[in-house]
Amino acid sequence: MTVAAPRARHGIFILLRRLRVPLAVLIVVYAVAVAGFTLIPGIDAQGRPWAMSFLQAFYFVSFLGTTIGLGEIPHPFSDTQRLWATATIYGSVVAWLYSISALFSVLQDPSFRRIMHESRVERAVRRLQEPFYLVCGYDDAGIRVTRELAEDGTSVVIVDVESARVDAVEVEDLPAVVPALQGDTSDPKTLVLAGLTNDLCAGVLALTGQDSTNTKIVLTARLLNPAVPVLCAAREHAAHARMAAAGATHIINPYDTFAERVALSIRTPSLHVIYESLTTQRGTAMNEPQGLPHGRWVLCGFGLFTRALRRQLTRLQIETFVIDVELDDTCDEKNSLQGDPTDPAVLRGADLESASAIVAGTAVDIDNLAITLAARALNKRLYIVARQTQRRNGSIFRASPANLVMLSGYIVAAEVLRVIRAPQLTTFLRRARDEEEAWAAALLQRMRNVIGAEIVESWSIELTPDRAPTACVAIDRPQEDVTLQRLMTRADGSGELVQAVPLLLHRGQERLLLPATDVPLQIGDRILCCGSARARVVMRGNLSAHALPILASHEQARATRT
Amino acid sequence: MSTERVLFAFVIVLALTLNVGFVAGDIADIAHHNVYELFAALAVSLIATVMKFGDRSALGSTMLATSLVADLQLIAAAAAWGFYGQGDAVLTAHHGATVVSLAIGAAVANVVSVVLLLIETTNLRR
Repeated sequence: MTVAAPRARHGIFILLRRLRVPLAVLIVVYAVAVAGFTLIPGIDAQGRPWAMSFLQAFYFVSFLGTTIGLGEIPHPFSDTQRLWATATIYGSVVAWLYSISALFSVLQDPSFRRIMHESRVERAVRRLQEPFYLVCGYDDAGIRVTRELAEDGTSVVIVDVESARVDAVEVEDLPAVVPALQGDTSDPKTLVLAGLTNDLCAGVLALTGQDSTNTKIVLTARLLNPAVPVLCAAREHAAHARMAAAGATHIINPYDTFAERVALSIRTPSLHVIYESLTTQRGTAMNEPQGLPHGRWVLCGFGLFTRALRRQLTRLQIETFVIDVELDDTCDEKNSLQGDPTDPAVLRGADLESASAIVAGTAVDIDNLAITLAARALNKRLYIVARQTQRRNGSIFRASPANLVMLSGYIVAAEVLRVIRAPQLTTFLRRARDEEEAWAAALLQRMRNVIGAEIVESWSIELTPDRAPTACVAIDRPQEDVTLQRLMTRADGSGELVQAVPLLLHRGQERLLLPATDVPLQIGDRILCCGSARARVVMRGNLSAHALPILASHEQARATRT
Repeated sequence: MSTERVLFAFVIVLALTLNVGFVAGDIADIAHHNVYELFAALAVSLIATVMKFGDRSALGSTMLATSLVADLQLIAAAAAWGFYGQGDAVLTAHHGATVVSLAIGAAVANVVSVVLLLIETTNLRR
């Protein structure tokens, strides 16, 4: 902030500097006119000679220049005075026109406007009182992340290189004031101006569409503010290593993420439902598993997206079949077809009747839509996945026969929000992915039994003396047993448990999946839970309440263990 | 040697000389002080202020401040003269002394301004 502040604050001085000449001209014209009126003699009504005082002359010239006259005062003018007044009218009007046009040209000047814009944003950022996220790139992903964070009540600052997108921030009708800076995100000065080095910067989100720009943002953030976490979106796998080396806290690849989710849905459908309920904003545990087909998958297009999908499907031993104009040497007669996938004749050659799913994964939206329509005509029961690249095409994709639409901006946004909202959730999902379907189905059943049709939220509780004073005092007392069950008990004296399921227990380096509720807790434990919103409030309340609930549940817990 | 530097120094020194020229003489005797000289001092001082807007040197802000002080003092002196001299009245000793003492204050500010100009110039040489 200290780097850019002097430059930005000087807007008014730049304005004055540019107006130096017009102002000097104005002063000279006025001075000459006033001096002239005090020198030129006139004749008053009684025929006595008189001359204006400086006060009268200044008064007369002041209204002369702006209104051309309230009359000749204090006495009617002589012809010499009228001659001088005429000269003054032209001189002062020209001087004023010149000054005003100079003022407007400075105000319209792109570099001056840029400085004013920067100083305005800089002031807005400085005025933020709460931790904020710095969103670099206000495209599909950035728009969605900004909206959801703003709705959560989190402050956001936006930087984007395109002024049209920055202007869109004001039109978006966000629930909070969001400072938006138009500037080159790969320029460190821009990021500093937007608050990168501010103490309140809680995280940097590199969501521009370009891997090289994102890498540079990561690098800049790491060097200028090493403490701040950086989330970074990537397309190419080659960029991952560079971003990781630059110090990205999380690297989000939309293609990999989507492919992993498809794989998850095929391998452990129940876990996919759990995943969806935990990560979407209004998800419940009652959704039915999606049931993606296990048969042959036809992949149209052979880019980063379909490659990622093919890798995941091959790992699950699902047969894939690629159609594209250009293929590489991993493709042969059996698993691929060379040709334009948008051509129905080529699609017919791929034997869609025996396929169970098709992925329209080219880089062009219209091609993908054409493929979905052609494929539906060839096979009515085909599961169709379509890739959408532009957000504005959303309505036609929804109307298309596609069963599942992949929009990379939304996938990146969902991942970013998940990492920001519940960092422990990532660990849980990574661990749960290794489990079998039976385990996932059992967990889903338990969630349904406990939470029912309520909206599922997830939250972390930390047993530290400042976050959970009551619980920590109780743990220190030797005669007390502090278990998860006690934290999950309602404080109203009924002894009932809240609608929550503990998912993960972090203890030092140890990570315990689905911890039992009667495990004694220790100071420093971090527990990830999911459940209803009310359960979260009750559990958070228990941690710092007057005392932990010590009702029937406590006795029961003791009884069950002995 | 640049025209801009010459003009800059010229205006600042002229503001000082006109100002000193006006205040020179008996403070209580208004006959020693010319109204046109005060007017010229004020006009030149205003132009000096405008020219200092552009000065980006380290001393620039201090110079601008001294110039603003001089403007304020001279405007006050001119306004006082205009007020006391309404209806062609001749200024009394007290009134004349008020006008001149305000202008003396402006002269001090102008002296500081010229000193800063000299400091800046010597620094530039090094």
